[in-house]
Amino acid sequence: MSDRTFMRSSLLSLLLLGTLSLVACDSETGDAVATIPPAQNVATPVESGQAIARAAQDQPRLQSLAELDDQPLPRRNLDIQSWQTEGGARVLFVEARELPMFDLRLTFAAGSSQDDGVPGLAMLTNAMLNEGIAGRDVTAIAEGFEDLGADFGNGSYRDMAIASLRSLSAADKRQPALELFSQVVGQPSFPDDSLQRIKNQILTGFEFQKQSPGKLASLELFKQLYREHPYAHPSEGTPESIPAIDVAQLRDFHARAYAAGNVVIALVGDLSREEAEAIAAQVSAALPQGAALSAPAAPTLPPATREHLDHPSNQTHLLLAQLGIERGHPDYAALYLGNQILGGGGFGTRLMEEVREKRGLTYGVYSGFSPMQTNGPFMINLQTRADMAEGTLQLVQQLVREFLEQGPTEAELERSKRQTAGSFPLSTASNADIVGQLGSIGFYNLPLTYLEDFMQQVQTLSVEDIRTAMNRHLSADGFVIVTAGPEVEQQPLPAPSDKPLEQPSGVPEH
Amino acid sequence: MPPMLRRAALLFAAALYLPLAVAEAQPTHEFFLDNGLKVIVREDHRAPVVVSQLWYKVGSSYESPGQTGLSHALEHMMFKGSRTLAAGEASRILRELGAEENAFTSDDYTAYYQVLARDRLAVAFELEADRLASLKLPPDEVAREIEVIKEERRLRTDDKPSALAYERFKAMAYPASGYHTPTIGWMDDLDRMTVEDLRAWYEAWYAPNNATLVVVGDVTLDEVRTLAERYFGPVEKRPIPSAKRPLELDEPGERRLTLHLNTQVPSLMMAFNTASLATETDNPRQIHALRLITALLDGGYSARLPRQLERGEELVSSASAWYNAHARGDSLFVLSAAPNTQKGRTLEEVEAGLWAQLEQLKQTPPTPEELERVRAQVIAGLVYERDSITQQATTIGMLETVGLSWRLMDEELAALEAVTPEDIQQAARTYFTRSRLSVAHVLPEESGDE
Repeated sequence: MSDRTFMRSSLLSLLLLGTLSLVACDSETGDAVATIPPAQNVATPVESGQAIARAAQDQPRLQSLAELDDQPLPRRNLDIQSWQTEGGARVLFVEARELPMFDLRLTFAAGSSQDDGVPGLAMLTNAMLNEGIAGRDVTAIAEGFEDLGADFGNGSYRDMAIASLRSLSAADKRQPALELFSQVVGQPSFPDDSLQRIKNQILTGFEFQKQSPGKLASLELFKQLYREHPYAHPSEGTPESIPAIDVAQLRDFHARAYAAGNVVIALVGDLSREEAEAIAAQVSAALPQGAALSAPAAPTLPPATREHLDHPSNQTHLLLAQLGIERGHPDYAALYLGNQILGGGGFGTRLMEEVREKRGLTYGVYSGFSPMQTNGPFMINLQTRADMAEGTLQLVQQLVREFLEQGPTEAELERSKRQTAGSFPLSTASNADIVGQLGSIGFYNLPLTYLEDFMQQVQTLSVEDIRTAMNRHLSADGFVIVTAGPEVEQQPLPAPSDKPLEQPSGVPEH
Repeated sequence: MPPMLRRAALLFAAALYLPLAVAEAQPTHEFFLDNGLKVIVREDHRAPVVVSQLWYKVGSSYESPGQTGLSHALEHMMFKGSRTLAAGEASRILRELGAEENAFTSDDYTAYYQVLARDRLAVAFELEADRLASLKLPPDEVAREIEVIKEERRLRTDDKPSALAYERFKAMAYPASGYHTPTIGWMDDLDRMTVEDLRAWYEAWYAPNNATLVVVGDVTLDEVRTLAERYFGPVEKRPIPSAKRPLELDEPGERRLTLHLNTQVPSLMMAFNTASLATETDNPRQIHALRLITALLDGGYSARLPRQLERGEELVSSASAWYNAHARGDSLFVLSAAPNTQKGRTLEEVEAGLWAQLEQLKQTPPTPEELERVRAQVIAGLVYERDSITQQATTIGMLETVGLSWRLMDEELAALEAVTPEDIQQAARTYFTRSRLSVAHVLPEESGDE
């Protein structure tokens, strides 16, 4: 998640900063393991390197694998402390003294699902926070943070709106940074000239979107998947809705949605419990006082549809989606693990092996559940050369169908469990990682032991658990499908590589 | 969009990283194996994780016409099997261990990395050493992977107008050096790339004496040394072709490019041919002055471009300044912007507005407040950078691979503080001239040719 403002980050990335950074080519796209739900880890026998070596072969050719012992994984103990402020804000805090800095992240239930018929209202309110406070205009606010070396961040999504601060922890930096941050989030003045400028930038952003087939397909997909539900419209609003939004609407939205009872405060860094309590109290008291907004209702099941957007690109973008689950759903661990095997996070998944590795059809193919306040999407996305689009789409659907019918193999399940366990230390390695985990646990009202609970639950799952859960939420014929690309004559797919999918390390050469 | 944002953020941070005045420097060690592999170890004991990166001194600026894209294609093929490992097997093993792994290629380097729990570092080393010593390059895998790379090119360049424009712009802005070559390669060169080309490229450059191993995380010097000697030690040293720094014409003359692309919004790029820290060794203060200019123009929401052009004049809907001081050869100082079309502003007005900013830098020294603000951001950035072991490793590996030293990390605050307001004016006068300038106007297709 970006810690810069919506406007700057979206426009700049659409424009040139992103381009310039392309001088480096990653060999994989996507978030890889970054979306793994996190945790302190639990040692189980299956996660050890020896188990991996044994599973792979009797006499491993890799010495390092054979020598990995059965010791439990090293772990970082996270002491998550939690309390409520007087205004009703839930606080989650982890003390981390190693670096002289801290991260503060406020997560409000103030995303576009609260737009209430005015698409873009939530995002505009969020983008306007740092445009003015009593006695300071946007430049003075920016100078205030930057003089201290502090980073202010904001961002707005479907469920949540975020305001964050990263600062040095020394009192002469921390206190003025917090004071400014509290005013920006709690008492923004929403100056009219800023609103006009930002609306113009957003309208320009819509023009930029028109050159991106992936973005156009995604907008259409959410429209088809969620129809009348508030998740259907884009968080950034529409060219029709943005011009009409006025300052009074922003003030009203802020008063309701940026209330102390509607926020989760996550804090990580070089702070004592007392300092953290004081910070949380200060921030909470600066906010409008009020209660939590209610979460959006569950969406109704959409019909399976197929829509094509004609676009003059070289590739065709393919997006397939169904309704998934809400956060905290008891099936999440099974769906998470099942998706890891099907198409979650990079190389080695069924989709990646079949579509990229065996056929060279795409640079990347990913699938994933995004649990939200209510049913978030399950989505598969990929791009392929336009004349292979139809065959590739059918291949992906066939792979999903097989997976739903048969579930994973025992071997896939065991490997995926080890992967999940082994990656846990990575998920809380930095302060930035931890503050993200805390924000998520707090916002979705998960237990403080969530990370550990999740780990344990994953390790107990069976093939049948996964097959059952996947079929409870997905159906092979239930996809909402949107494609975007040129209309060209279709070619048959190339024959797949005939190499076996799994080539155990123990098989001797030749 | 999120991965791209992260990369953009990283670049920005990398352009400003500096040493630490506020916290104690992290223990950092370096040594060589007998085969010439350089190893750098930085200890960070906050969490039981470690990142291992192997950096090769080869990238697209080393490539010749007709052979473009070889470094990047070879990077892809490094995942396709070696003596002990079948195609994709290393990735499956690492995945099963819960590791994050990937690779990246640029003009100046090719790097491979694994992030994993600290007790698994040996596996990362063994897999990495195996493909350094004995890559297979099976012809059927090569053929399929080139198709994947063409999809990557279509996705990330051909179907992305801003990326396509930058590729063409760069080809014009670097007339003399290999930096005009796009890292992913021209499509025609991908079409005619052979297994033999890849084999020759691998044999030429992939040797321990042309690589740097960077390890950051919850490890000690002794354990890394033991593991490195065990797994990388047996790989034989090889003679390496001489690699010449990409040098440019100082003043190639003004160049202009007009592109009509599938975009609704016009945009502008301007670049000046400049030196870098590696090529301006007599007067590095000039280079640090250019870095400070980047920060003055675009180092935050209160910097000059957002304050004066985006908000004050409402001339642009966005603008940015970018300069890579850490290239292996000569560099570019780049400005880019999109006009505020809602206010009817044109590319010509934006170009004039950017020139006015540059003239201001020549005529008027920055205020002490501005410089103090940049300094505060730099000092804080040094602390923030240490929150990520990957970012620390990347900075070390990048510096070493372009021929600088990782020790610059610990010297840079001093280096930037030594820059005077007069140095900044002098650098602006030296470098921001028409004879060093390339300009691209990117226009929607509808506006047609004249």
